[in-house]
Order: sequence, then C-alpha cells, then structure tokens
Amino acid sequence: MAGEKIDIEAIKAMLNLTDEDLVKPLPIPTKWSQPFWDASKQHKLVLKKCSKCGFIDHPPYLYCTNCQEDEHEWVEASGRATLAAYAINTFGVPFPFWVDLPYVVAMIDLPEGPRMISNIVECDQEKLENGMELEVVFDDVNDDITLPKWRPVDESKRG
Amino acid sequence: MGAGDFAVIGTGEVPTGNYPDRSEFEIAYEVSRMAIRDAGIDKNEIGAVLTAGHIMSNPDNDYNTEMFFGRLPEAIGANGCKVVATTISGGASSFSIRKTAEGILESGETDTVLVVHAQRFSQFSANEQAKYFSIAGSDVEWEVPYGMTYNSLAAIVTQGYMAYMGATIEQVAAVCVACRKWAMLQPNAMYNNKEITVEKVVNARVVSWPLTTLMCNVLGDGGSAYIMTTAEKARKVCDKPVYVLGEASEYSHRTITRSKQKDPGKMGEDLAVTARLAYDRSNLGPEDMDIFEIYGSYPVISLIVMDALDIPDERTSGELVLAGETSPGGKYPVSTNGEALSFGHTGTGVGFSTFVESVRQLQGRAGAAQVEGAKFLVENCGGGAFMDCHFTLMGSEVPQ
Repeated sequence: MAGEKIDIEAIKAMLNLTDEDLVKPLPIPTKWSQPFWDASKQHKLVLKKCSKCGFIDHPPYLYCTNCQEDEHEWVEASGRATLAAYAINTFGVPFPFWVDLPYVVAMIDLPEGPRMISNIVECDQEKLENGMELEVVFDDVNDDITLPKWRPVDESKRG
Repeated sequence: MGAGDFAVIGTGEVPTGNYPDRSEFEIAYEVSRMAIRDAGIDKNEIGAVLTAGHIMSNPDNDYNTEMFFGRLPEAIGANGCKVVATTISGGASSFSIRKTAEGILESGETDTVLVVHAQRFSQFSANEQAKYFSIAGSDVEWEVPYGMTYNSLAAIVTQGYMAYMGATIEQVAAVCVACRKWAMLQPNAMYNNKEITVEKVVNARVVSWPLTTLMCNVLGDGGSAYIMTTAEKARKVCDKPVYVLGEASEYSHRTITRSKQKDPGKMGEDLAVTARLAYDRSNLGPEDMDIFEIYGSYPVISLIVMDALDIPDERTSGELVLAGETSPGGKYPVSTNGEALSFGHTGTGVGFSTFVESVRQLQGRAGAAQVEGAKFLVENCGGGAFMDCHFTLMGSEVPQ
C-alpha cells in the first residue's frame, strides 16, 4: 500500500478542476452539536451526556436517544481510545483529499462508550493493529473548526 | 397476511451499463411494457403504479417529481390505474416498495400492481458521481471531513471482519470472482465478457486498503420492473407464478459508529436472528434453499449475509466461496446475476435486479444462469451505510 506520488496540479489541469473543487468539506455544526466543536476549538474532547439517564450520545442529537429527555451536560472525555478497525485510503477519494494519500480512516472506541470515525495520524501505517491504544490530537483546520484526530500512544508505532 | 398471499407474474429488465442516450424515462417505459407483456395481462388491469425513487436527479426534468406526479401510468396507458406512489430507502428500496405493493393489494383496491425502477448515472460526470457517493454513505458532519468514503466504510468493515473472523483476503476476493462467473451467464450484466481470478482481484490497484478496485462495485445505468398480484389472481392468469413466502427485517443505524452490533465479527450473528425469523415465517429452513440471492454490494457484506443465512455446511462462508461452492455449478448458488459487483450498481436498483432474477430463477427462465430445478430461495437486500437488512423467502410453490 505504498503511497504513489500524487501530482495534484497535473490532476487539476487534466480534469479541469477549480480551486473550489479542492476545498475540504468541514463540519457544519447543528444547534445540538455546536458545543462539541466549540470545545474542540479549545482542544477539549467533550461528549453529550443525558442528565436524566446518563446515556452518552455520539453523534449527539436534539434530545437523548435513550430516554428522549432534553437536559444534558457536556462532559470532558479522557482523550484515550482503542482502534476497532481501519482502512487506508490510497486512491479514488474526493479530490480535496488527494494531497493526504495514503491516509488512515478508522473506527475508534472511546472508554466512555461512544464510537467515532476519525483519522489516525502521526503513525506508522504498517504498525496499526486493532485494539491498539490511541490518544487524541487536535488539528486546527481554520479559525472556526478544529478536528479531533488520534495517534498511537506507543511512540514506537508513530510515523 | 399469510405465507404465499402475493405473487409475481411477470418481469422486465434492460441491460445495465453506460447508456447516456437512454433516459430514465425511456427505461421506465420500456421495462413497464416488458413486464406487462411477460405477465400476459392487459395494461388496464394495473390498479397501482409504484416507482422507486432514484438518486442524483436532474433538476431540469426531475424523474422523481415526474413519477410521483403520475407520469408513468399516463405514458404507458395504464388507464385503470388508481394509485401512484414513489418509495425509496436506498439499497433497501426493492423491499420497502414491495411492502407498499403488498399493502395496496391487501387493501383490496386493486389486485394488480406494477413496480418499476430506472436509473441513469451516465448523465453525470465522474466527479459528480464521486462527490455524491463520498457523502451518501457517510455522515457529513462527523465522517466526511475525515476523508471517509463509501469504499472506506466497506474497507473498515472488511478489515474488522477479517481480523475478528480470521477470513482471508483471498476469500474476500473469491466473492468477486463468483459474482463475475454468474454475470458471465447474464446478457443484461454490465461485466459479462471477461473472467477474473482471485489473484487478479487481490493484485488490482488498492483503493482503500484492504479493498482493491475489483472489490468495489461500479455504477451503471439500468432498470427493471415486475407485476405483483394476489396469489388468487396469479393462479388464474399465470402458469408459473412466484410466491412471496415470508419476510423479516432489521434496522440498525445511519452512521456506522452507532450500529447495534459493535463487533465487526458478529454482524452475521445479529442478522442470523432476522434470517431465522424469515425462514420460520415461511415454514422453510436453510436446507430447503436452492439459491441464496444476496445483495452484497461489497464482498464482505456477502460473506456476512452468508454467515447469517446459516448455510448447512461446516465450512465458513469464506471457505465455501473460495472452494467455488457459491459459483455456477456449486452446491450453494449465491447471487446468480452477479449483483452490484458484476451486474452493476444501479443506485436503488440492485435489489430490484436481485428480485427480478429471483423470479426468473423460480420460473425456470434464467437462461444460462438457471439453477436446475430451483424451487425455493432466499432473497436479501439492505441500504445506506449497511443500515438495515431484509430477507424474503420466495418459491414456485407454497409449502404446506
């Protein structure tokens, strides 16, 4: 799965792409997810916890998906996770992501309960293993959005 | 509603592939007439016309709007039509639309329903198609910003399934090979003139590891239709009606991170509960099945659904496929039209082509792909980001 060198300028010219075609899609927060992204900007990983039943929803929704109550609090997560399963994108992704190839898209489990899709960064892709320990890192994409991502806790597995 | 209350008496289908000059309207009109003629009924007997919502509409002449505003009965001259409706639930549309048809038949308003699917992807550029499918399978807020795609979704499930089940990449590849072998026997399949091998599939260009290009389905234009009636009418007007014997369904999630089953190795176990319900409701078991008509879309899903269907063999699903047991001539024929992987992915239509192929098999009219003496089969579909799963038992007779 060795990465092929991508010449994005050549692809742009060949497919007649505009600069707009190369802009990465970013989250558009909803009324009920805004606190997650606000906290992320402060480099804090938070989760929506129901004040009535204690259920943690991620992705969050308008009200608790377990008991349908509104009252909730945003609790800070430990910032740790384990790798449940993953893929390494090497080709055929939307154009804005071509510059990142090859990159890891993973399903990760938080000890708090929820599961997330994210990128495993700063890693040796050959050393990824299901069940391995991960820690959160924050990618400040622009002034408004910071994406939480994950890297191996074990430094020998970092790339 | 009991087992065998409804039956299919005729089908129509056009070739799947790239046909930019063949509009979705043309497809819908053609397959409608084919199904009506195949059923041997008068067009004015049709009391309800149901169309599957299609995806990626052209805003200048939106097929979906035209269909739910009643274009089709007018265009085909279905003068006895009383009800029109459009039903869509992604890849599960073939199931939800059939339940709609059964409900209309049960109401007694009519005893004859026409069900139609049509899709034309080739009017859109590769970039437009890639954009749509990068978003369709994933959550725009929580997944798409990470470069998640439909292929990545299937790759993650494949990696998890292999790791937790001990399945090999060769077994995954063998699903694609088996689908191609079936498609080679199908005149309407998108890929029916070039055999592939396990070695070729494994060594093809990696798209989203562990998936290679040949493990990913390809979009194509296509469409099909069928006529559904009450069993009572079917027996009067048709020599070879195909009966719906029993069904069962389960919904899990929109986003894969919220799937009910967290362990990628146990998805088959969860679906097995639903499959067993469908078998029980039909008074049949896996040992009675002549064919397993699975809508996999990606090879790993085919393996998971095979696990769920409890094929009466000690070997694992992967071992069965690799041994050729699901290919033409094998003990357990699976996906006899080659499904999304080789028949072609027609959007909401893969389940329709699987269903129409099921009817042809049970009528003994599947041509070169005919499974000798096929009497009972289980048909399956599901949609979204593997959001749901439906099993339908079908037969050329109703078991007592």
